[in-house]
Amino acid sequence: MTTAVATPLAERMRAVVGPANVLSSPSDLLVYECDGFTIEKNQPDIVVFPTSTEQIVAIVKACHELGVPFVPRGAGTSLAGGCLPIGGGVMIALTRMKRILEVNYRDRYAIIEPGVVNLWLTNHLKPRGYHFAPDPSSQGACTIGGNVATNSGGPHTLKYGVTVNHVLGVELVLPDGQVVPTGGPVEDMPGYDLTGVIVGSEGTFGVASKVWVRITRNPEAYRTLLGVFETVDDATNTISDIIGAGIIPGALEMLDSLILQAVEAAFHFGFPLDAGAVLIMEVDGLDAGLDQDAERIIEIAKKNHAREVRKANTEAERLLLWKSRKQAFGAVGRLAPSYCTQDGVVPRTKLPAVLKFIQHVGVKYALKIANVFHAGDGNIHPILLFDERDPDQVKRVLSASNEILDECIRLGGSVTGEHGIGVEKIDFMPKLFAPDDLAMMLRLRNAFNPDGRCSPRKMLPTAGACIEQSKAGRHAAM
Amino acid sequence: MSATTCVLDGFGPLDVARPGSVNELGDLIRAATALYPFGGKTQMGLGNAPTRPGVAVDLRGLAEVIDFPARDMTITVEAGMTLERLRGILEPENLRLPIDVPESTRATLGGVLAANVSGARRYGYGTLRDYVIGISALNDEGNVFKAGGRVVKNVAGYDLCKLLVGSLGTLGIITQVTLKLRPLAEQQALICLPSDAAQLEAILTSLSDSRTRPVCIEVLNRSAANCVFGQAALKAPAAPWIVLVGYEGNGDAVSWQVQQLVKEVGAHFGLQARIDFTTHSLCCALTEYASTAACALTFRASLPPSRTAAFCLQADRDAPQSAVRAHGGNGIVHGHWPGDLTKEQAASILTTWRERAAQVRGSVIVQRCAHPWKQSLDVWGPPTNDIRLMREVKAKFDPRSIFNPGRFVDGI
Ligand SMILES: Cc1cc2nc3c(=O)[nH]c(=O)nc-3n(C[C@H](O)[C@H](O)[C@H](O)COP(=O)(O)OP(=O)(O)OC[C@H]3O[C@@H](n4cnc5c(N)ncnc54)[C@H](O)[C@@H]3O)c2cc1C
Repeated sequence: MTTAVATPLAERMRAVVGPANVLSSPSDLLVYECDGFTIEKNQPDIVVFPTSTEQIVAIVKACHELGVPFVPRGAGTSLAGGCLPIGGGVMIALTRMKRILEVNYRDRYAIIEPGVVNLWLTNHLKPRGYHFAPDPSSQGACTIGGNVATNSGGPHTLKYGVTVNHVLGVELVLPDGQVVPTGGPVEDMPGYDLTGVIVGSEGTFGVASKVWVRITRNPEAYRTLLGVFETVDDATNTISDIIGAGIIPGALEMLDSLILQAVEAAFHFGFPLDAGAVLIMEVDGLDAGLDQDAERIIEIAKKNHAREVRKANTEAERLLLWKSRKQAFGAVGRLAPSYCTQDGVVPRTKLPAVLKFIQHVGVKYALKIANVFHAGDGNIHPILLFDERDPDQVKRVLSASNEILDECIRLGGSVTGEHGIGVEKIDFMPKLFAPDDLAMMLRLRNAFNPDGRCSPRKMLPTAGACIEQSKAGRHAAM
Repeated sequence: MSATTCVLDGFGPLDVARPGSVNELGDLIRAATALYPFGGKTQMGLGNAPTRPGVAVDLRGLAEVIDFPARDMTITVEAGMTLERLRGILEPENLRLPIDVPESTRATLGGVLAANVSGARRYGYGTLRDYVIGISALNDEGNVFKAGGRVVKNVAGYDLCKLLVGSLGTLGIITQVTLKLRPLAEQQALICLPSDAAQLEAILTSLSDSRTRPVCIEVLNRSAANCVFGQAALKAPAAPWIVLVGYEGNGDAVSWQVQQLVKEVGAHFGLQARIDFTTHSLCCALTEYASTAACALTFRASLPPSRTAAFCLQADRDAPQSAVRAHGGNGIVHGHWPGDLTKEQAASILTTWRERAAQVRGSVIVQRCAHPWKQSLDVWGPPTNDIRLMREVKAKFDPRSIFNPGRFVDGI
């Protein structure tokens, strides 16, 4: 333990949450200088761990009075730098607010504190046959508060939707300390859908101190198929044809040959190492009707020259397949010392084009790029392999990423399907949106966060407009 | 641009403008003191009556298809397009927007979005907010702004789509929309469960726990059932309450569910099943019902689903002449009267409904009523706890308060 810092800010915070819920020594703060996006780093002046809405209110009020910025943080798995404390200030870590407050199965909702880990909720609901539908690959670590802020997706969002489709209401602590409940378990309350815009606001509207989420019944059964293809084109044509046939699978995930090698080395599932691409195709729902869908999928895959289509015959096989998919990012560690996971979206039918482009970018910048992604949604995740000790490689990775994202825009897509803009992609916002679009988004932010004290310099670019207040950039070293 | 006049929700006459392009609409906005956008006028009765003189804007001139990449299962269209025309474009590609919209030959997308129209199948498919993935609108300066995009998954920027859906045209004028689509269902079934009052909650609970996965659970009291079945040229089963349970999916899944439901509840309650094409007339009647003359006065309550049955039963008991209809799985109850109530009776029922809804943290709005009554019937009811923030959003988006001034919650 290093010594705690005694500043007026630190004293105020200790008074609010107690000394045990404050970190202020430089070595303790090191962990909080970045999240899953490690290119930019900055330490907060202090990290506080509130345990109640009242404490959050007291914290943001103190920030208001002292004129220091604050940033909410969940598990810190953001890949876009959403938790980067720009200008220092107070980091409000929600991980000690982790109670599931109420579960109502009849009315299909749960009320949770923001620090509840995604998978805990699903595990909690499991005995009764329910789950929380958004299932990001990071679900064992990320918090639902973080999911709400980033509007997380996951492999099963093709059929079930993303976080916003499963959030009924939010209790939000505004930057001035007002506590505003929006929405709730009752549908169609009159007024604007504020919940709908709070979800996905990346922590720039205030701190979510409580969340009402919809809970979903588990599918009764699954048919999980693994299609092995010689080429990426055949795999993507299969995807279009399945959906064109009126089947909405629970998941349609693609893995290319490079990622297969890593995953196979880690999990020994028995993936074919010489395949051009494999598709994990899962239909779920009632047992009745699934065989009909599965048969048609096999037919479609065969028509598109699938080398073989395997069925996961047991639940254990299915789980291993999903483990291989969800921990694919981790397995990449075997291929290179560092990697950068990109996140872009194209219309589903443009997948062959964008994958070819990625290949070409890999050659151009002499980088290995692996692909494992939510193919059914057109949501690509190229993983750029490199060694961060080599500055030239870092430069090449950034240029390659930018080219890929520009191509997504050119193909009519977006620069992020689920990881968010954060600080990482802020420069793409003017490419994706016109000044008038951004101006309206700024108007919305100003309704929630007029002084820009809450998570400054995220999401919207500052250039040109008289955005964010200038104080935010100042370190609160008082 | 030909301009006549019209009366909107009892207010007028207002000059009507018919912009044929987004630029013309922009000019109108810049010159306006108050604008009342409309499409097919199917939802113009929703909200407080206008009080400020201004211009009514007919948006049906903006009705082009912008882009329809069918294999991506999205479509981008202008907001003045009718739902019927949209259906005609989607169906040949085996696609649909699974929202039940009454009067679809008149109703335009813009109006349906602004009023957030939904129907029976929202239980299975959700509401418009789940399907709008991109939006363009004109702001108070007459400039186009957009949000979202044309891909089904996208988290770039604040999701203004959510804000505009259900905003009753008070934040800007929606000109263009990108929708995520669904395949048409291979097969449909509707099962009719007659019930008495005592069994109603048990049926709804058992449906909530059923192994089957309904796409709709509609509750109808005697008068509502007579109306709906009558419209479908069918005879309603003789029971005080009817629950209609809908299934959609591939053939195997639908027939299994019908059999399963028979197993689960049939033994207790007795039921009638309609499969495939025979469901059509009843489905249509369910959708259209809300717009019939029988619904001249309509209250809509939002409740926790578990309170639906009790609320329906009380409503029926208090005013047996009312037609009570609920989306049972969503906790949304509609009370309809053909218009033979006095204003005082209506006000007293509304008060009772609001008291009961408030006890379970729900709300009640007046969805339709004769416009003179709006002075005494509080259309939106007491504002929710986030009203200050809503006002703030309105002030930022529409500082001159020109878009449908006064018509939305708390006089926004
Ligand atoms: C290996 C790996 C796999 C991943 N897979 C996926 C995936 O499949 N799908 C996907 O969508 N994402 C994925 N992610 C990204 C990330 O996990 C998600 O964005 C997740 O929702 C972040 O949750 P968190 O608790 O870690 O939030 P943090 O990283 O702590 O915060 C994320 C953002 O939310 C804000 N925030 C956090 N809590 C609150 C709150 N209570 N109130 C207001 N704002 C708040 C923060 O300020 C920040 O802007 C992955 C990340 C990793 C590392």
